[in-house]
Amino acid sequence: MKLKVCGMKYQDNIIQVAALQPDYLGFIFYEKSARNFDSEKIPELDKSIKKTGVFVDESIDFVIEKINKYNLQTIQLHGKESPEYCITLKSQNIEVIKVFSIVDEFNFEKLKPYDNVCDFFLFDTKGKYPGGNGYTFDWNILSNYPLKKPFFLSGGIGLNELENIKEFKKSNASNYCYALDVNSKFEIEPGLKNIENLKKFKNITALAETTKNKKERVMNYNVNEKGYYGDFGGAFIPEMLYPNIEELRQNYLKIMAEPDFKKEFDKLLKDYVGRPSPLYFAKRLSEKYNTKIYLKREDLNHTGAHKINNTIGQILMAQRLGKTRIIAETGAGQHGVATATVCALMGLECIVYMGEIDIARQAPNVARMKMLGATVVPALSGSRTLKDATNEAIRDWINNPVDTHYIIGSAIGPHPYPDMVTRFQSVISEEIKWQLKEQEGKENPDYVVACIGGGSNAAGTYYHYLHEPEVGIIAVEAAGLGIDSGESAATSVLGKEGIIHGCKTLLMQTTDGQITEPYSISAGLDYPGVGPMHAHLSKTGRAEFMSITDSDAMEAGLELSKLEGIIPAIETSHALAIFKHRTFKPDDIVVMSLSGRGDKDLQNYIDYFKI
Amino acid sequence: MNRIQTKLQENKKLLSIYFTAGYPEINDTVSIIEELEKNGVDMIEIGLPFSDPLADGPTIQDSSTKALKNGMTTEVLFNQLKDIRKSVSIPLIIMGYFNPMLQYGVEAFCKKCSEIGIDGLIIPDLPVDVYHEAYQDIFDKYGLINVFLITPQTSIERINFIDSVSKGFIYMVSSASVTGSNLGFGNDQETYFERISSMDLKNPQIIGFGISDNKTFIQATNFAKGAIIGSAFIKFISNNSIDDIPKFVTSIR
Repeated sequence: MKLKVCGMKYQDNIIQVAALQPDYLGFIFYEKSARNFDSEKIPELDKSIKKTGVFVDESIDFVIEKINKYNLQTIQLHGKESPEYCITLKSQNIEVIKVFSIVDEFNFEKLKPYDNVCDFFLFDTKGKYPGGNGYTFDWNILSNYPLKKPFFLSGGIGLNELENIKEFKKSNASNYCYALDVNSKFEIEPGLKNIENLKKFKNITALAETTKNKKERVMNYNVNEKGYYGDFGGAFIPEMLYPNIEELRQNYLKIMAEPDFKKEFDKLLKDYVGRPSPLYFAKRLSEKYNTKIYLKREDLNHTGAHKINNTIGQILMAQRLGKTRIIAETGAGQHGVATATVCALMGLECIVYMGEIDIARQAPNVARMKMLGATVVPALSGSRTLKDATNEAIRDWINNPVDTHYIIGSAIGPHPYPDMVTRFQSVISEEIKWQLKEQEGKENPDYVVACIGGGSNAAGTYYHYLHEPEVGIIAVEAAGLGIDSGESAATSVLGKEGIIHGCKTLLMQTTDGQITEPYSISAGLDYPGVGPMHAHLSKTGRAEFMSITDSDAMEAGLELSKLEGIIPAIETSHALAIFKHRTFKPDDIVVMSLSGRGDKDLQNYIDYFKI
Repeated sequence: MNRIQTKLQENKKLLSIYFTAGYPEINDTVSIIEELEKNGVDMIEIGLPFSDPLADGPTIQDSSTKALKNGMTTEVLFNQLKDIRKSVSIPLIIMGYFNPMLQYGVEAFCKKCSEIGIDGLIIPDLPVDVYHEAYQDIFDKYGLINVFLITPQTSIERINFIDSVSKGFIYMVSSASVTGSNLGFGNDQETYFERISSMDLKNPQIIGFGISDNKTFIQATNFAKGAIIGSAFIKFISNNSIDDIPKFVTSIR
């Protein structure tokens, strides 16, 4: 568990406490507090310590001024700040902790509106003052904590609580406890900390952590305030792109939280895309593999795949940012068609970059885009496929920095793209939750499964299950002709950490750092990288990665057609092929994203099976 | 003092040339550097080729693809340059994308540069914020100057931040574009050049992107300490031999 020491005031004392290496140091900016921090500067601290500003119902400008003046990494909000207030500050590249005070009981419903707009909750004892009252609350209340958001435990924690902390750590109430927050019980006078006692506390709690009652601590699989998922993500972009990316980063959460935006997005998903997409119990497939298989029918969306969820979201985003020209990259043409579609819907200019080789391979989709009014520009550089189309789109954006929005089609690219795309696609798991509840009486299946190229349908399928440890996550990559064949796209196996298209992730490359060309029979899975969220899920072991060859995928596609009357996209066929290789229990519930329909792949199926 | 800093103190407008290492032929690297110095070029950017150069236009990308095909790698480049300081004394900068450096190991890369006598690096996809937080100490340890780009869209605050982190010069991208656009400079550019010039930054500026001939060189150096030519030189060397380099340099100034 992490440690936060709050209520720092005196320069020498700050340096002494910092030497103990706490994870957070808190500075209170509240005039009525005896610990109000009014020095001109905070001494230089080790970069691993997060400087935290504590505020009570201040104006946004006041908070921003303090963030800049003291270079704060975290803010802690102790008053009646609204969710909108939190989101405005979160856009400042800052970690947000929202405080709630607990007396004898607590209505956890109050937390829900804040779940998506802050990074942590902090639970404090309700008393006379906003914080710093010096006594604890009944921690057992937290065993009813219904959310997954990690929290700080605060309120009157001192050396006398060591036994209670030990007990607390063993109990379920601590499942999502991320840090302990201490203050007045370690003071000689308000704001002056007793170093010896703090040292003792830190050593003993750290020791307790390494003994046998250590439980699996809560992990955060969402993006952090700097745009990282663990070691992956970030924004490695040329300076020419900085203003565009920064504009998007500052605004995307704010815009997505606007009631007007949500309303329009939901309405289009319903009336235009045809959502909710059905959650279909595949009876004959389930019988064959002796387990319970549900298919989330993204193939029934308008344009035939999950891609449109994201393009609808991004076109509305582009409009609110005042952009008039849309660019996109596409491999097989699915994302290109989904982008051209929403541009036609909104009457915006649309330019789609597509590798010259892909243009030749995917003539029907090229024709669709043209019918929809888009200009298709061939990418002639490099290997003339998806990664080069992406390079060309990025170059276009560099050349048109003011009026253009780039709709990236997968959960890749510089921050905030992976998070934004994931949030737009998360409608998939949001629906699975209530649909499964209707059919099975519970929201959580035993497994969620999706195929992964860059990983947008997977990100949407997993999103609401990331922090449900009882739900297994399975990611299916394309092995092409086989992992060791040299013709593969199994990035989690063959990839190494590196940088592609603006983010740090796993990617296929030479030892010299040159990006290599992947291969898969499915045009939607042959991307040399994988979204940073998935790289993190792979590295932490949260998701189980499998790879499926061309031939297994093709057979699985044919099998679904014959058993269920559904012809899947070849991408999706990779996910379907896992049943041949992995056994599930008869009463396991396996929800699989049927990400796209097979019409676009008909020629491939015809050639492969000589139909 | 680093060779770049010394050079910037000279009372003249500087001409810097970019070329892609290992292009047109794998072993041209050293001969091109020597020939450029002999003809009065003030500074050289040695391009370490990358498979996916986002900030470059077709000319530099094609030369990179060819150089990689020729067998150029980080290791090969370091080998070619190992004795370069026996024959060349002007500042040498390696310009490349971040992934190959990351795979070589950032510290190992910097150490090797310093052993060879490289003076600085330009890494377009390593943003100043990430550099400042994670890598500045390593660069400082090996005495390397990292050069950052600014564009017409860069905010004043960010320019000031970049100026505070920079220790050599600021690479001023002439317009919103990738390398190799060849449209000449209009009023917009001149206003921008003037605006930056009047900011009185601590670091001098050198203008790059879109400089291809005597006219654009003069326009750029009216407002800045120097100018960088890349794509135009790559085009020249594609169609001429290394012995023709004097012709190119005299056509610029």
